[in-house]
Amino acid sequence: MRARKYYIVAVAALAFLAATAVFADFRAGIYTQTGPETIHQTLAAPASTDATYDAGEYPIYYPELAAGDGKEDVENNCELCHSPRYITMQPVMPAQAWADEVNKMRKTYGAFIPDDTAQKIIEYLGTHYTPETRKR
Amino acid sequence: MAKSGKGVTRRRWLQTLGAASATLAAGRFLGEARAAGQLPEVQQAAPEFTGPGPNPYWTSAGQFATYPQKAPLILLTDRPVQLETPRRYFLSTFTPNEAFFVRWHLQTIPNAVDLKSWRLRVEGNVERPLTLSFPELISRFKPASLAAVNQCSGNSRSRLQPRVAGGQWGNGAMGNAAWTGVKLRDILNAAGVKSGSVQVQFEGLDKGLGPKGFGSNRFMKSLDLTNPVIDECVVAYAMNDEPLPMLNGFPARLIVPGYFATYWLKSLSFIRVLDAPDDNFWMKAAYRIPDTPRGSTTPEEMKAGKVPTVPIARMPVRSFLVSPDGTNKIPAGFPLRLRGIAFSGYGTVKKVEVSTDRGAHWADARLEADAGEYSFRTWSLDWTPKTGGRYEVAVRATDAKGNVQPDDGVWNPGGYLWNKIERQEIVVGDAS
Repeated sequence: MRARKYYIVAVAALAFLAATAVFADFRAGIYTQTGPETIHQTLAAPASTDATYDAGEYPIYYPELAAGDGKEDVENNCELCHSPRYITMQPVMPAQAWADEVNKMRKTYGAFIPDDTAQKIIEYLGTHYTPETRKR
Repeated sequence: MAKSGKGVTRRRWLQTLGAASATLAAGRFLGEARAAGQLPEVQQAAPEFTGPGPNPYWTSAGQFATYPQKAPLILLTDRPVQLETPRRYFLSTFTPNEAFFVRWHLQTIPNAVDLKSWRLRVEGNVERPLTLSFPELISRFKPASLAAVNQCSGNSRSRLQPRVAGGQWGNGAMGNAAWTGVKLRDILNAAGVKSGSVQVQFEGLDKGLGPKGFGSNRFMKSLDLTNPVIDECVVAYAMNDEPLPMLNGFPARLIVPGYFATYWLKSLSFIRVLDAPDDNFWMKAAYRIPDTPRGSTTPEEMKAGKVPTVPIARMPVRSFLVSPDGTNKIPAGFPLRLRGIAFSGYGTVKKVEVSTDRGAHWADARLEADAGEYSFRTWSLDWTPKTGGRYEVAVRATDAKGNVQPDDGVWNPGGYLWNKIERQEIVVGDAS
């Protein structure tokens, strides 16, 4: 009789588990190996009591430029006034639009870039950052 | 024998039961559910999107970045700095300072300001040039406060077709704050504007590395002295009752209510009264819009070179759904509260309408407290989607001048003035 009691309890427990599986579907306890990159909390900036209000340095998030001829010319010229993110942020544009941008930097903004260097930059951008050629 | 036979039967029964529940579980959890994409293995980073189609995301398609005095914001560029505000921050009327978007034009932007030497100079065509220290700015004039939306001229630029070069903002290059400072008119009166003056020019501490005389060297903007907005402008030293973050223009910036942010000079250090119209690059060549209905034109007309332009000015009416934002599946029958904001540079938002059936019917949303005619106005509408499906929620606002958001976009080479009706897909799942 005692064995029978255990038997009933065991069946009831299993039935309960089965019922749980049927009537309350959920997944639980699943963790991934690696989460996204951590963003740290930051300490309050050390502050003096004088009249200087200092926010500290601004971080650089240097993007990966496409490898190829003319990359160094971009680095040595465009990056004087702005980060190369001004290139990687842009939508894909036809080669002619990139030529217009480079010429705008020279004529409108006064960037001193010699003709042959400018031509190399135009070819670089028109090779890697068009709708047909941009990698990502 | 009977006993062992019984045991086999029991065992078999238990095995069957176990197998059946395992099958059920596997079927429900691993088969159907995962196939539907409901339970992803890991959260995927939103892939970069550079066109040529319109940016599909609410904000720009970049990564988050942390900057001094700032919450993690969406990075557009790092030098000079351009950061976009994530959508969730627009649930409230006022945008927190640490989340407020950032946009600078020139690379040499202030990291630190010494208030012992910082001065706001009022010069040019005035009777008494002024050199105001920070304490003088606070104590010498009567404080003025107002709520006003600061929106980049190029907010939503990544929606334009064809795409145009420039900061590829989604919708987050905007924010609303309670600004406190000194009325520009009070400062001008203290300096005494001489007769024959036509404009007032503003310049901040930022400098560029370009050659002198070019827009890449200095950033300056001007307003006509006859423009009524002059009487509404405030030189703000407080933003939401706090000092301005360095990246938002500490120690003071110009507030031009209803106008695009290009006029809201940061780290303001010069106010110059001009006796001739400002012909610097940032007025004569940049931040200009076609002098056409809604400032819209076509690439072909631009190429033909016959499009007259005027300086950009007031912000057209806009509205946004902030929550739900489409990232979470909603159960059918769930009593949702649709929440968002609306604003206009042409006066108080008078009406916000919402459609949940792809524009067939529009319902009036509840407009919440009015914090001033140039402020964000929050709105809400209760909506219970009865059955599962893919819904589209559209929002359109009407301002005090009767301007209604249109259902088509604009195109101009600067990528300015976008105010098309916003749409959001909401996925509703079965609840039983």
